[in-house]
Amino acid sequence: MSIHVSGETASHDVTNPHSNAVSPEVAAAAAAAGCPFHAASVLPTDGTPTHPSPRFAEWRETGPALPLDYNDGHRGLVVTQYDLARAVLEDPRFSMRPDRMPLSDTAPLHESPPEAAPEPELDDNAREALDTASVLFLDGDQHLRLRRSITGRFSAKSMRDRRAIVKQIVARQVEHVLAHGAPIDLFTEYARPIAAANHCDVLGIPAELADEFRAKFEGVATTRDRMDYVRRVVDARATDLGENTISDLLRSDLSRNEVDGLVMTLMSSGRDSVAYMISTSMVALLTNPEQLAKLRDDPSLIQGAVEEFMRYGTMFLTVFRRTATEDVTILGVDIPNGTSVSVSTVSANRDDRHWEDPATFDVTRDAFGHVGFGHGAHGCVGQQLARVEISEAITQLLAAIPDVRLEEAEQLSPLPFAHPVATYEAGAVVVAWG
Amino acid sequence: MQITVNTSACVGAGQCVMTAEDLFDQDDDGIVMLLDDSPDSSHEAGARRAASLCPARAIKVTD
Ligand code: HEM
Ligand code: SF4
Repeated sequence: MSIHVSGETASHDVTNPHSNAVSPEVAAAAAAAGCPFHAASVLPTDGTPTHPSPRFAEWRETGPALPLDYNDGHRGLVVTQYDLARAVLEDPRFSMRPDRMPLSDTAPLHESPPEAAPEPELDDNAREALDTASVLFLDGDQHLRLRRSITGRFSAKSMRDRRAIVKQIVARQVEHVLAHGAPIDLFTEYARPIAAANHCDVLGIPAELADEFRAKFEGVATTRDRMDYVRRVVDARATDLGENTISDLLRSDLSRNEVDGLVMTLMSSGRDSVAYMISTSMVALLTNPEQLAKLRDDPSLIQGAVEEFMRYGTMFLTVFRRTATEDVTILGVDIPNGTSVSVSTVSANRDDRHWEDPATFDVTRDAFGHVGFGHGAHGCVGQQLARVEISEAITQLLAAIPDVRLEEAEQLSPLPFAHPVATYEAGAVVVAWG
Repeated sequence: MQITVNTSACVGAGQCVMTAEDLFDQDDDGIVMLLDDSPDSSHEAGARRAASLCPARAIKVTD
């Protein structure tokens, strides 16, 4: 199957005799007739974390990749099916660089951004820190070098020691929940504090600066404010190196700007996602009592259950946009040079070509291989830590409050997506017991 | 069965360790370490699964 991005790619078809892309006229006619394959798409807002929009199932039937309109008016593709999702995410011919954004589908790519107006209030070092160390927007060796400066602290091996710390943080928060009493919003009173405390510990944010971390990164703050905070944290840590990520970075051969940029990235990543997953996992369990019973009867199921939480409650409707850096044919799909491609991890994790009965939540299924943490070179750095946090948070809460029940969850009705990529929001998850 | 790993491709997310802890570990930088390059056939399923889940295609299993 071939994907036709826009009428302007006709020239591409001429130079590629093997392409079977539909002609622009046919596409236009089909779009006018309302054919979903050729009609441009926008991400559907009528879904929830545990019940994504039925539109994704229609899209998967229509094709592995469909046109997607971006908010600046250009058109790219959304990948709908599991196999293509993994193939795109592990293919180095797709770039993460935001400056590779095509002006139109056939216009040449900018190798470097047309000088973006510098944020006036950021100094040169801050800008360099953001430009050189935002791992999610780098490619190739430059990306791998920076990524490798943090993977050690987040490896499966490191988690063997870290689990004890996570356990303690979770136990403290369970005490808070019990002391607070029912009803209680698990998102603000349980999931978020657990995620924030773990983030502070693994990064090495000094205790006296920890409250400010939540204020600056959970609350609203300017980039400059956050950068100033990052520098104060790194300065403080530099006088007291320890077993944490910031110390690792300070001991490495990275420049100070690179350290600041990476710390900024790490402070911005994953904390909300962990809180979302803890909350959404509880919603999935409390709305599927037979699954909850299985896990309660056999807590050793938790490791596999976490994979199923990630698959069934996937947070990212699409991960960050990629751009094809050459004409790519991948699993029979033609993707012209310069095309923006957004992989829908929500859709891939519900693809019945790969998953048996994907709409069923089953804590005993083999859900490994889901793309809830992304996949490929940019796959989530924090995934092993996230797994430990989620598994401890769910296990300890169920053990402490065996009769916990769901009173109300905002996420059972569609909520607005969170920025900058489309993700589901956890919302308040109010539980009670007794 | 022979296993090889490409440490320069590894992105250190630890999928292999999760899948087959008796065959793979990670070093202090998170890079894959092969614990046994020619395990007996009882490890074959785990080795192949790790190879297929590896996000960097850094693991090869040959007969
Ligand atoms: C359940 C919780 C989490 C979820 C669902 C999640 C999800 C993701 C996804 C989908 C990506 C890939 C995005 C893309 O390819 O476009 C990603 C990347 C990333 N995540 Fe997570 N994440 C979680 C927790 C964490 C934690 C705890 C951290 C650690 C501080 C973290 C740090 C990162 C970083 C640094 C990247 C960029 C990796 C790179 O570009 O090489 N994440 N995450
Ligand atoms: S799964 Fe692949 S990329 Fe991940 S640690 Fe193992 S070898 Fe490296």
